[in-house]
Amino acid sequence: MKFYICIKMVPDVYAPLQIKEGELIMDADRMVLNAYDASAVEEALVLKEKHGGEVEVVCIGPAKASETIRKALAMGADKATHILATGDEEYDSASYAKILSAFFKDKEYDVIGLGKQSQDTDSGLTGSMVAEHLSLPYTTNAVGLEVENGNLVVKRQGDSGQEMIELPTPCAVTCSNDMNDPRIPNLKGIMASKRKPIDQVEISSLGIDETELQADTKVTSYEEKPARQAGKKYEGEAEEVAREVAQLLDTEANVL
Amino acid sequence: MSTILTYIAISDGKLKRSSLEVLSHCKSLADASGASCEAVVIDANASSFVDGIQKYGASKVHVVEDPIFKNHMNTPLLKALSKVMASVNPSVFAFASTEGTKDVLGALAANQNAAVIADVASFELIDGGVKAKRPVMAAKIMNNTEAKSEKVLVSVRSGSYDLNESLESAEVVNVDFSMDDSEMKSTLREIISASGDTIDLNEAEAIVAAGRGVKDEEGKALISELASVLKAGIGASRALTESGVYDPSLQIGQTGKVVSPQLYIAVGISGAIQHVAGMANSKVIVAINKDPDAPIFEVADYGIVGDLYKVLPPFIEEIKKIKG
Ligand SMILES: Cc1cc2nc3c(=O)[nH]c(=O)nc-3n(C[C@H](O)[C@H](O)[C@H](O)COP(=O)(O)OP(=O)(O)OC[C@H]3O[C@@H](n4cnc5c(N)ncnc54)[C@H](O)[C@@H]3O)c2cc1C
Ligand SMILES: Nc1ncnc2c1ncn2[C@@H]1O[C@H](COP(=O)(O)O)[C@@H](O)[C@H]1O
Repeated sequence: MKFYICIKMVPDVYAPLQIKEGELIMDADRMVLNAYDASAVEEALVLKEKHGGEVEVVCIGPAKASETIRKALAMGADKATHILATGDEEYDSASYAKILSAFFKDKEYDVIGLGKQSQDTDSGLTGSMVAEHLSLPYTTNAVGLEVENGNLVVKRQGDSGQEMIELPTPCAVTCSNDMNDPRIPNLKGIMASKRKPIDQVEISSLGIDETELQADTKVTSYEEKPARQAGKKYEGEAEEVAREVAQLLDTEANVL
Repeated sequence: MSTILTYIAISDGKLKRSSLEVLSHCKSLADASGASCEAVVIDANASSFVDGIQKYGASKVHVVEDPIFKNHMNTPLLKALSKVMASVNPSVFAFASTEGTKDVLGALAANQNAAVIADVASFELIDGGVKAKRPVMAAKIMNNTEAKSEKVLVSVRSGSYDLNESLESAEVVNVDFSMDDSEMKSTLREIISASGDTIDLNEAEAIVAAGRGVKDEEGKALISELASVLKAGIGASRALTESGVYDPSLQIGQTGKVVSPQLYIAVGISGAIQHVAGMANSKVIVAINKDPDAPIFEVADYGIVGDLYKVLPPFIEEIKKIKG
């Protein structure tokens, strides 16, 4: 099977951040491979190991995103396409979905894999947008993938239970990090990644009208969350504090 | 006159409360702006839910009833939503942010050429569109996002708005719908349901959530007992859904569900940002953890430092006494 996995470089949510006059200030160097995309890469690698095929990653991002791409190659992806952005564009999920769809339009593949959401924005829109643009069968929030008789069988986490869905190929699927633990690249993988091809593509070469990429949504400012005051810590003899807090939940917090 | 449309999700044969929260909010936006407040319900028994919907102020309910909607499948749902959206032409189409919604929201936006803001904590109308607040960076901070478009889709986190009854006798519009097998792009093979009697965590008044500190059957039994005396839903951290100790449907957090009960009791959970992202909006938070420096204490109103195996038995007993 030929897999294309869409990977995104995102800010590390653990990096310290600050908000000044509505602007978000954080270390632009602390970027990582989106955790959900890492799970998508991992699953594609496992399926390739079982059934054969090829795993190619695609990333839209500035020059620095080549580090993110290397990481996926070091995990074991065969090759990569880097669709170059400057990083100053104010793209939203819809813009990225249009670029990805334009890229995939004349490609051959069995499965387009994406993350179920970007871990910094939690939007979760790009996957089903790409599927709709390309008229592909798709499913989202996959927690397990199998290949059976050339079809993709997806276990997805629904609202109350899990659904087993069979998709004919070509298809698209968005992946949860509940699917697996992505492998950590070893030294051999890292060395090998340096010899793997990264194809660089300009957005302008994809035949999309640039005005169409203008985002409909715009982040106008950032703000702190209304802070939750840390309450009181009760330490001491287990039996005593347990009873004391239970009492307080009744008399003080009124939640029993 | 413009229209604000709300999608009413049905889950396990019941109206999703989070959809009614969104409808309540849309009703107040519609009243304030002179728009018409309408709703759409799509289900195998859709018409049976009209009564429940008109209580929250919809003046028109679009009903798409077809056996195909017995279980969630994105192809027919997308087709129905697109059809209703094209005919109603709403300026705003609002959803509760359920897994069912997340499965189709982007596709619907692409199909209808609409702007979309997903998973918001609140939203309001502005000139030419919608303005929303969204938690970002694992819900550490919020951003303000604007969508300027003639058509805006927005999905709202559960617990963001209160229910507000305002009875309307809604006009019912039955929407023709049919779909033949050849249009189905995928097949639903099977539904693997969570263990029987689970309470919908989005709607639970109280939640007892277990983390890696809960190590064995004895620990699980204590969690179940506490949940049962509180009539609470059981949730879990990723550590325990990943290892299969609890059903994956019970995961709370960034990957899992976002909840906002009156009472949240975190037992043996460290309080990683991705977990806190899903529960920080609970009204009262209790944490039980043996590590006094566990980050969960930073968000807890009541922190009990101690071994859960020693704390829970007297805690349960005392609550039983109080509840009489
Ligand atoms: C992109 C992404 C998304 C994620 N999404 C989620 C999500 O949705 N939900 C989620 O939960 N996590 C999520 N995580 C994982 C998260 O980062 C943590 O790994 C996870 O929440 C840890 O679970 P835990 O607190 O149960 O385990 P640990 O962090 O191992 O904590 C266990 C705690 O139990 C305490 N303990 C141990 N024994 C006892 C005892 N006998 N009595 C009392 N206390 C005891 C310990 O002191 C410790 O604090 C996500 C991670 C990533 C990267
Ligand atoms: N710039 C990008 N480059 C490659 N893939 C992307 C990009 N943006 C989004 N995606 C994919 O779309 C998924 C969901 O994105 P989002 O809609 O931002 O939550 C991500 O997990 C990626 O798989």
